[in-house]
Order: sequence, then structure tokens, then C-alpha cells
Amino acid sequence: MTGIAAALLNSLDIGLLLFIIAVGLNIVFGVLNIINFAHGALYMLGAYLGYSCMNQLGMPFWLALAVAPLAVAALAVLVDRGMLRFIYQREISDSLLLTFALLLVLNEAVRMIWGTGIHVVEPPAPLQGTIVLPGGLNYPRYSLFVIAAGLLALAALWLLFNRTRLGKIMRAASLDRDMAQLLCINTRRVVTCVFAFGAWLAAMGGVVAAPMRAIDPGMGDKIIIESFIVVVIGGLGSFPGALLGAVALGLMHGLGGRFLPDVNLVLPFIGMALVLLLKPHGLMGTGGKA
Amino acid sequence: MFELTLKRALLALTAAGALAAGPASAAASGDPIKIGGLYILSGSAATYGKFAEQGIQLAMDEINAQGGVLGRPLALLMEDDQGKAAVGIQAARKLVYQDKVQALVGVDSSGVALGLVPTMKELRTPLILTHAATPHATGKLCNDYTFRISVNEEQNMRAAAELAAKTGAKRWTTIGPDYAFGHEVWEYFGKYLKKFNPDAELMKETAFPRFGAEDFTPFINGVMQNKPDGVIISVWGGDLVNFVRQANNLGFFNQGFQLMFAVGAATEVLTALGPQMPEGVWLGTRYWYAGYDSPRNEQFVDAFKKKYGVPPSYNAEGAYASIYAVKAAIEKGGKADAESIAKALQGLTLETPTGQLTLRKGDNQALIGPTWGRTGPMNDADKIRSLVDAKTFTGAEVTPALEDTGCKAS
Repeated sequence: MTGIAAALLNSLDIGLLLFIIAVGLNIVFGVLNIINFAHGALYMLGAYLGYSCMNQLGMPFWLALAVAPLAVAALAVLVDRGMLRFIYQREISDSLLLTFALLLVLNEAVRMIWGTGIHVVEPPAPLQGTIVLPGGLNYPRYSLFVIAAGLLALAALWLLFNRTRLGKIMRAASLDRDMAQLLCINTRRVVTCVFAFGAWLAAMGGVVAAPMRAIDPGMGDKIIIESFIVVVIGGLGSFPGALLGAVALGLMHGLGGRFLPDVNLVLPFIGMALVLLLKPHGLMGTGGKA
Repeated sequence: MFELTLKRALLALTAAGALAAGPASAAASGDPIKIGGLYILSGSAATYGKFAEQGIQLAMDEINAQGGVLGRPLALLMEDDQGKAAVGIQAARKLVYQDKVQALVGVDSSGVALGLVPTMKELRTPLILTHAATPHATGKLCNDYTFRISVNEEQNMRAAAELAAKTGAKRWTTIGPDYAFGHEVWEYFGKYLKKFNPDAELMKETAFPRFGAEDFTPFINGVMQNKPDGVIISVWGGDLVNFVRQANNLGFFNQGFQLMFAVGAATEVLTALGPQMPEGVWLGTRYWYAGYDSPRNEQFVDAFKKKYGVPPSYNAEGAYASIYAVKAAIEKGGKADAESIAKALQGLTLETPTGQLTLRKGDNQALIGPTWGRTGPMNDADKIRSLVDAKTFTGAEVTPALEDTGCKAS
């Protein structure tokens, strides 16, 4: 029984970390109608900056969690103003090419700044080690923190989209940008904010992941593949879809790895194939605009 | 779509620039002899390629400073194989046909080696493997152009099985990456364990997470649930860093299992982990910088530390030795073209940091053994765990007879 409980909790921490990252990808697509290939690189940048904040500048984890994602969001503002704004009106394939180029630049920059070596950071002291849960299950504290962080992000995003004016503006801009502009919404500023917010979420995921994942120059490529699986399963541009897809993928990794170790490799791809066959726009997708 | 082909044109340019500037003194002059390097230079395992590149560069600097080979300097052209067979083959073709290299050294991944080795007959250029360990490269796929200067997985697992049999642990399982390497480790470990300890049991329940899995928790929990006596672990690179930290968290190291890491003593990983690598587990490696008490090794380790500030990893040593092998082959045959080098490499004996080493005529595998040891206290100067009870196996002890390798070339 504890075996299943551990696998379920593990699925949840894998899934909710993926949610934090993939939801950024989805929001950016929903509002800007671009698929950001560099999203994984922004996640990696967050993790490396977090590493520098903690291990080189001696900041505590919580400060790094505040600083690193903000720095990445600031960079995203520059990227949006300097690069992306020129292609918003163009074909989606142009944005794919441009963000792919950005990915290459960021990957190479990370290698030039931090080298190719593997780095690790420690979880903050209260989150180190394991805790005994009711039922006698021994579980890593940091994994529980990741679950909590994921749930917090979920709640905050739901409130943002459904209860705030800013959220309504973002949804309006995603439904019809021209109409929103006619209604005196500064869509240009909204677009920049949304792109920076997506980058902030990716970097947040990177700092949260840093204490439990090796920081290496390939971490961005790994996560972007996972994030794409999440959005294909959940539906591109859909907020609940990102949650559903992330948790589904978490379950495939967590339960699949534990109980079906021989086929766990192909599970995500079987899942993706099934979704594409039965619901081509993803479980919650609408086929374009959210 | 994710093949991040970033050509190492810069490196080639640097090499060309250095040559154009002209070496200062009695150093080599004339047309450089070009050697191609094929390693993982991007992504998670890029640190392995980096160390290989450093090893090659050190060897070339030493050789060129002493007048080069046949009076000509050596030059390096690096390509990123990304750990993917298709990319590796394409890069090898480019190096041979376009850049006109006379020898290739490299490859980190067994997956790349399995794809590349049969291609060498078409390229008619020698390839010296310095890291990839699949026994088939010098076994059933062997050919006149493929050599290996490093320990292969059969040699490594024979040594591991001998130690495993001595621990008395009876029920063994494995955790390894789900591709050629992980499965071969288990296959050869099992084969030799049965030989040394016929009572040993190879469990049906094994764990093969995908390479780059990031979260190994489900697999670690699965193994702990099955209560083995011993586990052979072939996870490597960044995966191994993740694995050890997650295993620490789950109490995997306090279960009383005998734990053997097939390629655990990689300085790339040990440096990252520091004291988080627990004490008392068995680590294997193709080369351990403190495992050889010889002037040649001391000179190599000192020179490497002086140039790069860290001790050389096994990958650095393999790459370093391969350049000296090319040099020795050119001097033996008196010619610097690919065919002559390939011919001269067969049966070649040379001095390397691991001692006198012979590339066996027939399968072209170096007669060489791994080092295995238990993790000891931290080495504060090098900031990594030391190895205690370290034993370096000789090639004679662990290399199967030629007729048992499956090699039927020449």
C-alpha cells in the first residue's frame, strides 16, 4: 500500500513541477499565438541563475527563488521588444524558427558562462531529508514542497484568470487581440507582460527543480520535450489542459516507472498517440484560441 | 527537431590560427596531420566531451612542442556527435571526406559506437574508441579500422563480478539506462557472476529507466521493495548525479545492499556530488587518476591539473592516450595516411598513463583492466571522494580470449 502511495505522491511531484513549466508555454501560446521553443532554455537559465545566487553569491534558497525568475523575466522583456514583436503578425512557423534560434543562443550562452560541468544545489535546511507521513510512508520533504508549490501556482493562476482585471484582459487579448485593442486595451503591453510572465514561470520551475535535479547544459532540452508532451495531451493553449496533461504525464512516469518498468519508456508516446487519434486538439484543447 | 547541431568550426579555426601564427621554436612545422575527435559536446553529457577534448589538446600540445610526428604538427578537428548514432556517422563522414582527417578518436556513447563501427570500413580510416564500452565494437562488429584503447564492458564486468562474488551477496539486480550500455552491463555482469559464484541469483525484477529520466524515485522504490542483496548500477553522467541524490533521500544507501557502480568513479560526477556520494560503495572506472604509481601517470596527472585545474577523468585519459597511439602508429609505419595508421595500430604497444598497453592483433582491443574501489573520505585538495581498497585489474586478468570475443575480422 505504501508502495502505491509513494508512487502516487511521486507522480504528483513530477506532474506539478511540469505544470508550473508547461502552463507558461500554454499561456504564451494562448495570448501571443506563438509556440516558444526557448521555453526549456528559460527554465534552464532559471536553474543556473538560481545555482549562481545560492552557491556563488551565498543567497538563501528563498531569495534565489525571488531573484532568478525576475532576472529571466527581465531578459524576456528585452527578447519580446527586440525580437518577437516583429513577427507577431506573421505565420506561426516564423515564431517557431525565431524561438528555436533563441534556444540555440541561450544554450550556447549557458555553456559559455557556466561551462559544461554538472552542478548541484542543496534544498534549504528545513526541506532536507525525509519526513514520515501518516501510514508510515517515508517521503522526501523537498518533494512535498514541490507539490505544495505546484498547488499554490495552480490556485494563484486560477485566481488571476478568473478573479482579476488583469486576468480578464489577458483572456480578452487571447480571444481577439484586435477587438481588445479597439476596447482601449494596450495590447502591446499585455503581450510583453504575458511573454515575461511565461518566462518567469519557466525560470520559477528551474529554481524549484534545482535542488532535486542535476543542473547541466541539457536540462532545457529535456524539459521542453516533456512540456510539449504535456500540451499535446492536455491541449495547446488551455489552462486546465496544462494541469491535466502534466498530471497525466506525471502518472505515466511515476506509476509507470514503479509498476511497469519495462514499458515506461513508451507510455508517454502511447498516451500522446491516443490523444491525437481520439481528440486531436488535446483533452481540453479547442484547436487554436483558448 | 531537437538536434542542436552546433559545429565546432571555432575550434578548427583556433587550431588553424595557431598554426598560421607559427610555433615558436624547434616545434613542428609543415602540413599538420589532422585528427578528428567525435564526442558529446552539447546537452547533459557535454562535460564528458569537454574532458576528452582537454585530454586530446594536452597530448597534442606535448607532442607538438617536441617536434610533432615525422616533423609535422598534429591538429584537432572536433565534432559534436550529440550521443546519437546518426549524427555521429554524419560527423565522421564530414571529418573524413571534407576535412581529410587521417584518424578518428572518440565517441562516448555505445549507441554511437554500434552505428559508427561498421561505417569505418567504408571510410577506410582508423577509429580509436576511447570511452564507448560496448564489447561488440571489438567483438562481433570488429573490423580492421576500429580500435579501442579503453576498457570495454566485458572486461569491466568480469572484474566487477569477481568482486561481487567475494561480497557474498546472493540475489542481484540492476538499475541502468535503457539502451545498449545498460543492458550489456547486466548481461556481462550476470555471465561472469554465475561463473564466479554459481549460487548467485540474477533477479527477474530489473529497472531500466530511460537515459535522461531525471526522476529515478519510482525505480529506486521498486528496487528497495524487491529487497535484493546486491545491485549493479550503470546509470552515468547527470543521471548518476540525480540518482545518487534521490537515492540518498529515499534511504537507498542504508538498506545493507552491496552496491556497485559500473562507471561510478567518473570525476565529472564525483566532483558534482562531493560528499553526497556515500562512503563504502563500490565504484568502477576505466581509469582512476590515483590508481597508477608510475612516473608516466604522475607526469600526465600533474600536467592535466596544471593546465585545467582538476584531476583528469577516465575520459580525458582515454582521449589523451589515443593521440599517443596515433603518434606511435605513424612512427611505426613511417607514414601518416589513414591506411598506414590503421595497419600500424594493429598489435601496437605503447606507453600510456595506465602502463604499457597493447592493442591486441585480431580484435584490436586494448589489453587493459578497470580500477574498482570503495568510496572513502573526501580528498580535500581535489574536492572529490577518494577510493580505498582500490584494485586495478590487469588486461590479462579480465580480457576474454580472442576466440571468445566473437570477432572474425581479418
